[in-house]
Amino acid sequence: MAVIEVQNINKSFGDTQAVRDVSFEIPKGRIFGLLGPNGAGKTTAIRIINHILIADSGTVTINGMKVSSETQSMIGYMPEERGLYKKMKVGEQLIYLAQLKGLSHAEAKEKTRYWLDRFEATDWYHKEIGELSKGMSQKIQFIATIAHNPDIYIFDEPFSGLDPINSEMLKEIVIELRDKGNTILFSTHRMEQVEQMCDEICLFNKGRAVLKGNLRNIKQKFGKNTINIEFEGDASFLDKLEDVRINNRSTNFAEIRVLNGQHMQDILKTAMDHAEIYKFERVEPSLTEIFISTVGEDNINPNELG
Amino acid sequence: MSLHQILLVLKREYMTRIRSKAFILATILIPVGMIAFIGIVIGISVWDSDTDRTIGIVDQTEVLYPRLTEISPERYEDFSKIPQDSLRALVQEQEVDGYVILNEDHITGNANPEFVSGGSGGLGLQQTIKSDLREVIRNERLARANVSDDVQKIYESQITLEMRKLTKEGKETDSDTGFMTVVGLAMGFIIFGSISGYGGLITRSVIEEKTNRIIEVIASSVKPIELLLGKMGGIGALALTQLTIWITTLIGLGMAAGPVAQMFMTPDMKENLANADQAAQASPALDPEIFSIPPIDASLIIYFIIFFLLGYLIYSAIFAALGSAVDSEADTQQYMFPIMVPIFIGYFIMFRAMENPDGMLSIVGSLIPFCTPIVMITRIAITDVPFWQIGLSILLMIGTFIGTMWLSAKIYSVGILSYGKSANWKELMKWIKE
Repeated sequence: MAVIEVQNINKSFGDTQAVRDVSFEIPKGRIFGLLGPNGAGKTTAIRIINHILIADSGTVTINGMKVSSETQSMIGYMPEERGLYKKMKVGEQLIYLAQLKGLSHAEAKEKTRYWLDRFEATDWYHKEIGELSKGMSQKIQFIATIAHNPDIYIFDEPFSGLDPINSEMLKEIVIELRDKGNTILFSTHRMEQVEQMCDEICLFNKGRAVLKGNLRNIKQKFGKNTINIEFEGDASFLDKLEDVRINNRSTNFAEIRVLNGQHMQDILKTAMDHAEIYKFERVEPSLTEIFISTVGEDNINPNELG
Repeated sequence: MSLHQILLVLKREYMTRIRSKAFILATILIPVGMIAFIGIVIGISVWDSDTDRTIGIVDQTEVLYPRLTEISPERYEDFSKIPQDSLRALVQEQEVDGYVILNEDHITGNANPEFVSGGSGGLGLQQTIKSDLREVIRNERLARANVSDDVQKIYESQITLEMRKLTKEGKETDSDTGFMTVVGLAMGFIIFGSISGYGGLITRSVIEEKTNRIIEVIASSVKPIELLLGKMGGIGALALTQLTIWITTLIGLGMAAGPVAQMFMTPDMKENLANADQAAQASPALDPEIFSIPPIDASLIIYFIIFFLLGYLIYSAIFAALGSAVDSEADTQQYMFPIMVPIFIGYFIMFRAMENPDGMLSIVGSLIPFCTPIVMITRIAITDVPFWQIGLSILLMIGTFIGTMWLSAKIYSVGILSYGKSANWKELMKWIKE
């Protein structure tokens, strides 16, 4: 059953149409990635799901209920623009935010204590946010998002601005939450970061959902038409290859998308003539490659892959 | 709209602010600052009136100068022995402020005395000299006319006007117009100060949530209108708390002032007071009750609270909308001006209402909802405002509040989520139409 169901939503701000006729479903217990470049309309879609913005047309349902103030408390939301009251104490602030999500004062206090302990931050309870380091306040922000124990979590660009330790921690939390049966939606424009985590994806471009579905299925549909090559020596042969697209190129690595059904053996031969090959692997395309093919030259029909 | 959410927001706004150092400091320092300001003003006027002026008198009658020194021993100096040329030189060198030559013609009324001065002293000095001369000449003429003591007494008698006020119930009381004018001005001033002060606080509070970026977290739990109402309520409660503290302190001090003043008064002073009382007869010199505060009508206090709250509500919604429309405090200027204009107009009409509370300007000003809270309370304190005017002004304010609240809520709900730049007027119009 779909926990979040988005149907044909549209949203305009003046002359710019931020979201155009977008539909997708998020099944229960999955990690759903909303991917796309900056300005594609991801944040607008997320705000509509959170009932912060109201769609001009179309419907959004959460657990079968139309979005409203009630559905808000079913969701833990961490916006891209993160922030807390600087002059308020950590404990009071977390209790306040949890109360706004419908917890009683006692429940909110208990949860706050629990999560602060869990993050080894018990003694921050009486500190003001302004006194904390950036990494510390990021942890408080996570707690604020999850303390009311909802079953849907939405993270907008969660990894931007996170230090590596908190970034790892967030990944662990997200996977742990999923394993407990919760549903997670997050958005990012850094696709390679989330490839390992997402079960389902929806690719956004210019306000439209251009590709959506189960990540495995999508990759399979694209087929193993990509080569990961590691080599040492003259890299200029890469420029001579025809009918390919090269992503992630560095001095001794390249991800080569083979177009027009060209024989991969020919590419290997050319490469061997110019450089020493350490690794030559035929793989499914990366999300970045899938995105470029989808919105770029290949113009794949999204319905084909649904 | 959920009352529960509004109350949560209200409580946070109130609790975090009331414990803040800024609030505690302001509560103590604002009255101290005002007392210091009033003290300085009084100090200046006392110090100012002490300016010594020297007027040379050439008294050819030999009777007028002694009379003048009786009135003011320091102001007039006998220059009878100095030739007129030297007198002119003294004035030119500014050794004296001026001189008057008095002769018999002045006493008989055949000629008017001339005051020759270097131009200093201003109108006040001229008035003083004029009345002093009139008095001494009149007294001298009376003396020469050999009138009876009775007639002389008639001339010496001074007339003061005793103020009595007839209430609607037919009771006659001491008129307290002077005191009530002060009360009315103080109330108008408090409303004026609170609207601008607490309004600014709301604007800053909204901007703070925007720049902290916590607004989106809050908006995912609370409706903008709930947040707005909670904020207005919380800061309004803060304002009432601060006012209560001040007014209680003031009343406490007022009640303590009488006994304390008595304690500090030396027996000598008390005697002087008593003597002055007897001697002055009808003069209102020193009322023994001068240190006690006359009673203020309960209805006035209720009106004060009503106008305070309505004024606060009308403006706080606008100030909140202003905060949501801008991206930083520095950008508030362009919107602050049009908001402050009606507040200041009300403030200036208040002073007009003090002198002429039933004049056209005062009546119109007290019925314009944006000026009502400041002007009307001053009028109510000073004069009997017809009930239809009070009722109408309250209705108009409620209507205006609904209007500003509606507009502000529209601007606010869009504004809080638009980061990056301050909105211009055109964008505001668009937000309202949305």
